Amino acid sequence: MKRVLTAVLALFVALFLLVPAERAKGAAAVPARPGQLAFPPLEYRPPNPADYRVQLKAGPVAYLVPDRELPLVNLTILVRTGDYLEPAGKEGVAGVTGNLLTRGGTKSMTAEALEEKLAFLAAQLNSAVSDTQGTVSLNLLSKDLDEGLGILREALTQPRFQDDKLALLKQQMLQQMQQRNDDSAEIEAREVNHLGYGESFWANHAPTAKSVESIDRTDVEAFHRRWFVPGNFVIAINGDFDRAAMIGKLEKLFAAWPFKGETPPPIPTETEMTKPGVYLVNKDVNQGRVSILLPGIMRDDPDYFPAAIMNDILGGGGFTSRLVNRIRTDEGLAYHAGSSLPGGTYYAPPMRALFQTKSRTVPYAVGIVFEEMKRIAAEPVSDEELDGTITGLIERFPRAFATKAQIAGTFAQDEFTGRYAKDPGYWKNHRAKIRAVTKADVQRAARRLLKPEQVRVLIIGQKDEILRGHPDHPERLIDFAGGNLMDWPLRDPLTMQQMAQPKPIEDSAK
Amino acid sequence: MKVLLLERHDDPSVSGGWVAHVGSANERPGITGIAHLFEHMMFKGTPTIGTKDAAKDLEIIAEQERVRDVMREEEAKMRAAYRRGELEDLTKPESKSERYRELEKEFNQLIQAQRDIQVKNEFDRIYRSAGGAGMNAFTMQDMTGYFINVPANKIELWMWMESERLLNPVFREFYAERDVVYEERRMRTESTPLGKFAETFNAMFFDAHPYHWPVIGWPSDVASISKAEADAFYNTFYAPQNITLILVGDFNSAKLLPQLERYFGRIPRGPNNAPDLVTQEIPQVAEKRMNAEAEANPQVQIQWHTVPFAHRDSYALDILGELLSGRTGRLYKGLVLGSEVATEANAGQMSLKWAGWFAAEGEAREGHTPEEVEQAIYAELEKLKSEAVPPEELQKVKNNFAAAEYRKLSSNQAILMQLIFNEGLGDWREFNNAAAQHQAVTADDVRRVASQYLTRENRAVATYTRKAN
Repeated sequence: MKRVLTAVLALFVALFLLVPAERAKGAAAVPARPGQLAFPPLEYRPPNPADYRVQLKAGPVAYLVPDRELPLVNLTILVRTGDYLEPAGKEGVAGVTGNLLTRGGTKSMTAEALEEKLAFLAAQLNSAVSDTQGTVSLNLLSKDLDEGLGILREALTQPRFQDDKLALLKQQMLQQMQQRNDDSAEIEAREVNHLGYGESFWANHAPTAKSVESIDRTDVEAFHRRWFVPGNFVIAINGDFDRAAMIGKLEKLFAAWPFKGETPPPIPTETEMTKPGVYLVNKDVNQGRVSILLPGIMRDDPDYFPAAIMNDILGGGGFTSRLVNRIRTDEGLAYHAGSSLPGGTYYAPPMRALFQTKSRTVPYAVGIVFEEMKRIAAEPVSDEELDGTITGLIERFPRAFATKAQIAGTFAQDEFTGRYAKDPGYWKNHRAKIRAVTKADVQRAARRLLKPEQVRVLIIGQKDEILRGHPDHPERLIDFAGGNLMDWPLRDPLTMQQMAQPKPIEDSAK
Repeated sequence: MKVLLLERHDDPSVSGGWVAHVGSANERPGITGIAHLFEHMMFKGTPTIGTKDAAKDLEIIAEQERVRDVMREEEAKMRAAYRRGELEDLTKPESKSERYRELEKEFNQLIQAQRDIQVKNEFDRIYRSAGGAGMNAFTMQDMTGYFINVPANKIELWMWMESERLLNPVFREFYAERDVVYEERRMRTESTPLGKFAETFNAMFFDAHPYHWPVIGWPSDVASISKAEADAFYNTFYAPQNITLILVGDFNSAKLLPQLERYFGRIPRGPNNAPDLVTQEIPQVAEKRMNAEAEANPQVQIQWHTVPFAHRDSYALDILGELLSGRTGRLYKGLVLGSEVATEANAGQMSLKWAGWFAAEGEAREGHTPEEVEQAIYAELEKLKSEAVPPEELQKVKNNFAAAEYRKLSSNQAILMQLIFNEGLGDWREFNNAAAQHQAVTADDVRRVASQYLTRENRAVATYTRKAN
């Protein structure tokens, strides 16, 4: 290991000084309004997935995007696995497997030797398993590619899952759990999922102290051998390589896999939102965190584009959007406000409006969100809002493919989630679908999604102060609860069971 | 005005930004947080952007200020009542005096009048509908940076918008935005498990230097900054001689320069240069310690006064930080895998423009205390002070610095941000030059800086234990 790397790369940045001077006579004046500027046309054609797609004989589909700008190679393997495949009582085993695949050594190298090797090469080898997907990634200097692929193959096929590293990871997970109720943002993220998908949905089966303690090496090995097989892989790779040569290397990487594995069952999609109402988690912080939830939409729903544009106008479009204008700019009630509507891939995540404001103005700001939701369903959006949103989405479209890593990554995701098989022209037709959305479409989507009687409001903050409201504003939480204003208890950080029974709040403020 | 241009033609877009050489270090007590509030105000528009009637808009703003002057007098009375113990908490709505409420009503009527002629958030709207993406800005101790990505054919729009807001900013909606910043403070500092303590630790670490106060400002200052103070701040620190423009992306520099002259050359040079920051931190004479009970796992944080950006010792201190950090670093091997007193531990040098520090931190493993972690960190540092780092280990760290030189070039946006930081900290050329300096660090350098800076009387220590329920 005497190899020395001395990359010193200078970027040739040009430096100029602008000197304010007497304006040259005859120099064109600066127009008074930007609307008076004329811009040259910009033709943009999105990359075509078929140009990069390769069906490897060894099983996986790969998207290869060569790029000689920098001497780096960036490879990601998407794996059909996920938390949803965890056996009951073994919650956490997917994450443990994902972590230890590259942190627990390989057959020929202890975990310590592997870490030293990677560090000396300045190579980044990482792995993880999340709810519906596993990821293994390698980013390294192209001069080390063959060595890196050798290590990757060994990690994928013969991981050591070293006992002391498993014990350490379990200890770290248990210690991390103790912080589950410390940060109001973390509590909010967790309870959004509980209200949005229901207590019994698999994605809410978080690891507990008991489940993590029960995980042993055989559990990890079994999870690995069951799902980490080339038939479950999709590959994204970009960087400094020759396409044909790389195809050969990938075939070798995935050939003659030493174990068979299984095709995973479909992802269960039976979500069930908790009953509409207001759910208040008492936490002693001087700013309430608020999430306002509604049933969401799938990304391939015929109404998806109208709904996405509606969301952009309502609260997804940053400063230009209505919620930010009113809650932040007009009223100064929050730093962060807005809404999101991520179209579901397997099941529909809730539509969500959110903000954080001082305890006493929480009910007032909730009222503003309700008002704006009602307004966008009741009245058509303005021409200016619709045109601005559509033009902006179309003009920003090239950002989706701004780097080679994005090209490879986006197409690999589409392959992984089945969008490519179902709709290979998705990106080619993307802008036309946006352009076709009308004001009536937007209002239809708003009426379908923004039903006041369907709203779930989640609030984390000082219960008494929030219930008290503000002397300048008549709104109180009970106004938004539809008769269901609930004290929503924190969960025991080690068991994830609520520490008390949820119970109705007697609102004394009114 | 200085301009940095870097052509990259791979993607039809331009990442454009500029850095004003001003941050919280240029503030004074009473107006802490103004650099950051000012950053927010730069998105409020110009005489033509944001209103349908510029003259009336300015009239209303002047009228608003007259009401605010009276409100400020009333605020002074409320502060006096608070000092006498007659008011419990100035932030409570019930603490407002009758007179103040009347004035607030009057002020809100003027806001209402202004809204009738306003075009809300038009600055953002114009960029967004033209394909602008990721528009944002940040404020640090030393700099304020503004950035956005635009399609390559919209570069003239960028020049129009940025030169216009530098030439003719209008600070409308000043007081609502001040409330927004107060909410930002609640969100980042007051409502997070460690935010308040980190602020106190920083204030304890710096005695004399303006880095003592938080970038977001002390709460009482944020609630009191006036528009007149913001105007004065703009006149001093947003003059073109205090600003660097940076563009990275798909353009032709030779063609672009005359246009840049045309748009930005119309901004007159400020009459005075921004004052140099003369206050230097006094040498620390004794170890400083604080113990916090927080909603967090037990942990320790240690900071030593070291050197600022581009100081000749900063490179060896960077290397020292990397030797200690990561899964093959000495802290992880010694404290997490070895003695098992910690679950994680890291260290690193932070070089700001006027001063810098070296930080080390670790979380105690269950059954162990922050003090044990602290002592274990010192033990690892002692080894680095007394024994030379083996060549292999030093090379490992240097290899990672070298690879990072490539990784930092992953996109226009990434390059723009690095140029903004380097220029804001003192000199964009460090973007190119630091790499050679890191490679030149020797084992002797590492031992020397560890011994010189990481001493007991030069450090501050925060230990955290979990607050009982």
